[in-house]
Amino acid sequence: MKIEFTPEQLNLQREVREYMKQIMTPALALEMKDPEYFEGGGPEFRRLLKKMGSDGWIALSWPKEYGGREASPIEQYIFTDEVMRAGFPYPFLTTDGVGPVLAEYGNDEKSQAVVRGILKGEVIVAIGYSEPSAGTDLASLTTKAEKTDEGWLINGQKMWTSLANYADYVWLAARTDPESAKPHKGLSMFLMPTDNPGFSFTPVHTLGVRTNATYYQDVKLPDSALIGELNNGWRLITGQLNRERLSLVNYGPIDALYKETAQWAAQTIGSDGEPIISQPWVQANLAKVKTGAEALRLICLKQAWSMTNGDLEMADASAAKVYGSEFFVECYRSLLEIMGQAGTLHRDSGGAILQGKIELRYRVGSVLTFGGGTNEVQRDIISAAGLWMPRSR
Amino acid sequence: MDFSYSPEQLEVKDLAAKIFADQTSQQRLREIDAQQDKFDSKLWHDLAQAGLLAVAMEEKHGGSGLGFETLTLVFEELGRTVAPVPAVPVLTTAYVLQKYASADVCQRYLPAVANGQKMIGAALLEPANDSAVNPQAQAHYSDQGWTLNGVKSAVPFAASCEVIIVPANTDDGLAVFLLKPNSDGVMLESQICTAGEPQYLVTADNAKVELLADGDAAVLIVSALVEHMSAALCAMAIGLTDKMMRMTASYTSEREQFGVPVATFQAVGHRAADCYIDVECLRLTTHQAVSLLEQGGDTTEAVMIAKIWVGDVCHRVSQAAQHLHGGVGIDRDYELFRYCLWARQIELTCGTSSALTQRLGQKIAADFLAA
Repeated sequence: MKIEFTPEQLNLQREVREYMKQIMTPALALEMKDPEYFEGGGPEFRRLLKKMGSDGWIALSWPKEYGGREASPIEQYIFTDEVMRAGFPYPFLTTDGVGPVLAEYGNDEKSQAVVRGILKGEVIVAIGYSEPSAGTDLASLTTKAEKTDEGWLINGQKMWTSLANYADYVWLAARTDPESAKPHKGLSMFLMPTDNPGFSFTPVHTLGVRTNATYYQDVKLPDSALIGELNNGWRLITGQLNRERLSLVNYGPIDALYKETAQWAAQTIGSDGEPIISQPWVQANLAKVKTGAEALRLICLKQAWSMTNGDLEMADASAAKVYGSEFFVECYRSLLEIMGQAGTLHRDSGGAILQGKIELRYRVGSVLTFGGGTNEVQRDIISAAGLWMPRSR
Repeated sequence: MDFSYSPEQLEVKDLAAKIFADQTSQQRLREIDAQQDKFDSKLWHDLAQAGLLAVAMEEKHGGSGLGFETLTLVFEELGRTVAPVPAVPVLTTAYVLQKYASADVCQRYLPAVANGQKMIGAALLEPANDSAVNPQAQAHYSDQGWTLNGVKSAVPFAASCEVIIVPANTDDGLAVFLLKPNSDGVMLESQICTAGEPQYLVTADNAKVELLADGDAAVLIVSALVEHMSAALCAMAIGLTDKMMRMTASYTSEREQFGVPVATFQAVGHRAADCYIDVECLRLTTHQAVSLLEQGGDTTEAVMIAKIWVGDVCHRVSQAAQHLHGGVGIDRDYELFRYCLWARQIELTCGTSSALTQRLGQKIAADFLAA
C-alpha cells in the first residue's frame, strides 16, 4: 500500500494548479459576483471555458479519437480537484455527466457534433430530470413525449434545471410509455436545443444560487433527438447519476478553505492581543476540520484508484457521497465559528472575512445532502449493498 | 498510488484469519476467561509455529522481514476475533526495539520473541499521567549502575515479560531502560481493566535497570513506541469494528419484530449505514498512518488523525451495535460484549480523541504561526 501520487501525477497537479491561475481572471471574479453568473454563463466564463477546451483540458480523460489524452480516473480526479480548488464554475454535469453518455448512445452525426462542442467548451447542457413532484423518486416523472409523424411532441415541467438560463441544450427525461407496468421502464432521453420555441424558463432564487423552473409546451423534436433506445432512458440516467455522485464531493475546495481560515486566524490579532489561532477552541475546530478532511481526501483517492482498477463498489460510492456532503456542512460551521459573528457578513460588505467565501458556502452547501440522490436513499443503498441487510420494499 | 496489499501480505492476513478464527469459539474463549492468566498459550504457540509472531522480524532474528504494515494485518485479524493473546503489545515493542536498539539487545530478546518462547513489553502509562515522554519515574546512576524508582500502570502481561521497556526521568532528562520484572525491588500488582486483558501496576523501588538510550535517542524510542502502539491498536480496531458492524447486520436481518426483520426498518438500516461510513474512515486513516510508518518520514499528524478516528468510531460503532442488538448485545452468552469492551479499551489507550484533537490543534496553530 502506498497512498501517494507518482512524480508524473504530481507534475500534472502542479500543471493544472498553475494553469488555473490564468483561468481565474479578475474579470471572471467580477462577473461571478452577479448571482446570475455565479455558476457560470457570463461572457468571460464562456471565453475561458472555450480556452480550456482548445487547450485540451476538457477532453483530458477522453479517447484519442476525440482529441483526448486518455487520462486515468486518478488523473481525472487530480484535474477535477484542482479546478474546484481554484473555484472555476466548471460544468461537470455537461463534461463528465452528459458528454460520455451522449458519446456512447448518440449515434447520429448531430449528437457527435454536440459531443465535440462540449469538448471544445462551446456547448453547455442542463439536466432536465427533477419535476415538482419527482425528486428522489425520479422514475415517477410525468413530462411526456408523444410520437408524431414528424418526430416527438413534448409537454411538461421540470424543476431545479440549473444552467438552463444559458445552456445550449437540455438533457431531458420524458415518459414515452405511460402504460408501462414499472414506471422506470417507460422513460426515454432527449437532447433538446434551448432555442426551441416551445421551451421557456423562469428563475428560482435559492438560498445560495439561481436555478430555474423550465417549461415544455408542445416542444417539437425530430426523431434524431431521441438518444439511446426508446423506453430505455433509465439506464442512461443512472449511468450519469453514478458519475455525477463522484464529482459532487471533492477535497480540494475544503482544503483551500481550511488553509485560508487558519492563515487568517494566525494573522489576525484578537481582543486579548494574541492571534486568534491561539485560542484552544479555535485550534480544536481546525483540528476537527483537518481530521475530517483527511478522511475525505483518502476516500476520494481510493475511489479514483478503484475506478482506475475497475472495481468501484456501489456502497462505497454512496458512502463517499453521504460522508462528503455531511462533512461539508459541519466543516463550514466549524470554520464560521472561528470568525464569530463577522462570519455572517456577505462578500460585498465591509468587514467581510475571506471575501465572505465561507458565508456563501454555508448558503450553497446544504444542497448536497439531498441533491444528487438524497442521503436517506444513499444510506438505504449502503445497508443493502454494503451490509446485505434486507430492504422493506 | 496503490490501496492494495501484495500477495505475500494477503497470505499472512489469510493465515492469521484462519488460525484466529479456528481457536476463538465461544467455548474456547470462556475456558480462557476462567483461567487466572487469561492467556491462550496454545494459540500463542500455534502463531509462533506459523511464523506469525515473526512476520516483522528481520531474518537475522528468526523472522521473515515483511515489515510493520504486514504485522498490522495480523492485528486487524486479531481484532476481528478478540483472541486472548498479547500480540499487539509484545510484537509492537519487539518491532520498535528492532528498529532502535543495539544489535546486542536485539539478539538477546528478539529471536526468543519470534519463536514464542519469551515476551517483552513496554510501560507507557503512569497513574494520572498519559504522557510517556514526561515520566514521573526517576532513574539514578551510581557506581553500582542504574536504579529506578517509580510506578508504571496498566502494563499488559507484565508478569509474563522477560523484560519491560521503561521510560524514566534522569538528571539529564528522559532516558529509556530495560527492567526485568522479576528483579529485586520490583513489585507487580494485578489490575483488572475493561477489556479483561491481564495488566499490572509495576512499582520499582531502587530496582536495577539497564540503560537502553538517553538524550535524543530516548525521545525517539519513546515516541516510536507510542506511535507504533497507537497504529497497532488502530489496526486492531479495524477488524474489531468491522466485525461488530457485520454481526449487527446479520442479527438485525434475522431478528423479527412486528412480523418483519428489524433490519427492514430504515431507522435500523441507517444507523448500520453510518457504522459502514465510520469504519471506512477509520480504515483509510489507519492504512495511511501505517503505510507512512512503514515508509518513514513525518508520521505525527497521520497517526494522531487515525487515533482520533479510532476513538470516535470505536465508541459510535460499539454503542450502535449494542443498541441494535437489544438485550442480546449485553448478554455474556453472546459474543458481542467482548468486542464492545475492547472498543472502549482501545479508545482510551494511547491517547483519547479529545486530547489528541487538542494536540493536533496546537500543532496546526504552531505551523500556521510559523508560516
